[in-house]
Amino acid sequence: MLSPATGTDGYRRLNRKCMLSMYIDYAVWYVVLLAAYFAVRTYAEGFLGPYYDAVEYGFVLVLVITLVYIAMAPPVFYARYRYRITEDRVDVRCGILFIRHTLVPIERVHQVEITRGPINNLLGLADVTITTAGGEASIRYLEVDEAETVADRLNDLVGRMLRERMPKTGSPRPGPAGE
Amino acid sequence: MIDDCSIDTDAPARHGEKIRCHPSVIAERSLSAVVVLGVLVMQLGRGALPAVLAILFVGLVLFNYRQWNRTTVQFNETDVVVERNTLFKMKKTLPYAKMASVNVNRGVLNRVFGTSRLLVNINSGSGAMVPEAVLTFRQDVAEGIRAGMAERLYGHETVPEEEPAEPPVSFSPVDVIVHGLFSVSTYQTVFGFAFLAYSVVQLYVSTVTGAGADGKALVSLLMFFSIQLAPSVSLIFHYYNYRVYRRGDTIYLEHGLVRTYKTSFAVSRINAVRVKRTLAARLLHRSWIEVEVVGLASGSGESLRPVLCLLKDDATQQRLFRELVPEFVYDRSPERQPEGARRMLRIRAALASLALVLATAYPSIYVYRATADLAGTAGTVLPYALPLTTLLGALAIFYATHVSCRITEFDAGKDLFTFVNGAVDRETVVMNYDKVQTVQVARGPVSGLFGVARAEVYLLSSTGGTSISSGYFFENRLGAIGETMMERIASGEYDWRKNSI
Repeated sequence: MLSPATGTDGYRRLNRKCMLSMYIDYAVWYVVLLAAYFAVRTYAEGFLGPYYDAVEYGFVLVLVITLVYIAMAPPVFYARYRYRITEDRVDVRCGILFIRHTLVPIERVHQVEITRGPINNLLGLADVTITTAGGEASIRYLEVDEAETVADRLNDLVGRMLRERMPKTGSPRPGPAGE
Repeated sequence: MIDDCSIDTDAPARHGEKIRCHPSVIAERSLSAVVVLGVLVMQLGRGALPAVLAILFVGLVLFNYRQWNRTTVQFNETDVVVERNTLFKMKKTLPYAKMASVNVNRGVLNRVFGTSRLLVNINSGSGAMVPEAVLTFRQDVAEGIRAGMAERLYGHETVPEEEPAEPPVSFSPVDVIVHGLFSVSTYQTVFGFAFLAYSVVQLYVSTVTGAGADGKALVSLLMFFSIQLAPSVSLIFHYYNYRVYRRGDTIYLEHGLVRTYKTSFAVSRINAVRVKRTLAARLLHRSWIEVEVVGLASGSGESLRPVLCLLKDDATQQRLFRELVPEFVYDRSPERQPEGARRMLRIRAALASLALVLATAYPSIYVYRATADLAGTAGTVLPYALPLTTLLGALAIFYATHVSCRITEFDAGKDLFTFVNGAVDRETVVMNYDKVQTVQVARGPVSGLFGVARAEVYLLSSTGGTSISSGYFFENRLGAIGETMMERIASGEYDWRKNSI
């Protein structure tokens, strides 16, 4: 099943493609880490002196732990990720080791932004970033259509709220003095 | 195009009239360049370079003159418009409805020229560190403009100079000095004095051995100066002649020795109130109050969080709290961290201690082997120095955990909620649900085992956005913050007019 499912509690899940995106992203960083390891192994013996062996073992340990994390993290992330947009709030539950529950009232939303990195672009995924006056929250790895729908819905909700707040009686319109 | 003849820099501003800033801004802006160019001339003053630099300086003065000449300010019915008609044109419209504060401060040059700086701030997180407009006018003109704008912002006149308001508490120069010395964070003080001790030991050793003092002693002394002494002296200068009072719904602050500050803001702009106590302050039974108010930037890189009460005895601090910000006073029924959190914190302390022991194990063995054969006191002390330090570190971790378990509190009231944190430097933060932007409740792999979590509340702060963390409590208790916030919006208790940004 490729399309995100909506649970009975109204929470939606991500597309499975998010795991692929995470694997590619992690793989790129792992290659960088491997390059750093081989650079240390090849060139740092003289510089590190008696600490060379300790640093090498430490590096190998980091590489192994990172590899285990890379293998495990995307399925856990996918399994735990839930988001829900209601009339009054955006609710996101996510996390791999630390599970976070983020609550953003629609009332506090200032800006909604859709972003796509090169990997997400390749897989047809996008992130929606919701900016409030005090920080940001994001809904990650949405399919592009879904991201557009989410952003439109949020913009609609914010717009409706602002329209409701506009004075109904004719008050002076802002403009240059003397107009 | 600006009609230059119609612009008066000294007359009080009338609505719609374009005025220029005081011409002293040309000197203010050019003066910093004099120092840089002076240093360059001193260091590289050979050949034609001084002449080139002099031409550069004249060019800079002419540039600043043109900037001043072509920059106008217009105080309209609904907004202030700052317009610069130079190569890089600029037109900035600042609506009164969006202004957070209009403040005045005076530096040395302002005093020489008889001027004041008028700082206009918009209630925005993105530009919180820098005022949206810094305008220099003759002192009486600046005060007049500020009074007029304050009337629009807060609904009444600011208190004129000749009509002194009655501050609820007076602060003596001794209070200012005590605040400067003991409000610097304990960690900073410990590091500062560690550098001082190292420097003194180095100087003593160099005196005893007859060798001259090396650079290490001087660097340590400089570190002590920059970490401990300079912040204390800066605070003393900043809060000299400190005065605070409230009139209507506006709080006024006045202070400063070299640069004087007159700050005012509406109470409705306060997003959180922090009561703070460093370790030294707690030993003296003193505390101070800071508030999170966005839009009070002075643009000079100084502390932006306004202080409502300098370090005073706890009773005076609490009285001032009740008198200045009664909106943030409520009957608290704080809850301590549950037993699960205590267990989790102890496990975390054990893991941190284990990590410390593992990290220092190899260096400890290395130091032991290298110093065990030394003769005298060095041979007795040095081999065990690192293991002993590690042991002290582990004990400190467990003690901090014990204190944290004892003092960390959470309290969810009807309109307000409070976090109490800090094993060494303690902080009580009272927040209004209506000012919370986002709430995040997080549980880690260890805390999850005990069913506890931690909340992070995101607010608009004096420096932009900030997050304030709670201790470890049951997830549903912390979830109540977000739910109460949502209920207040749904029930209409939250008034967006009072909380607009």
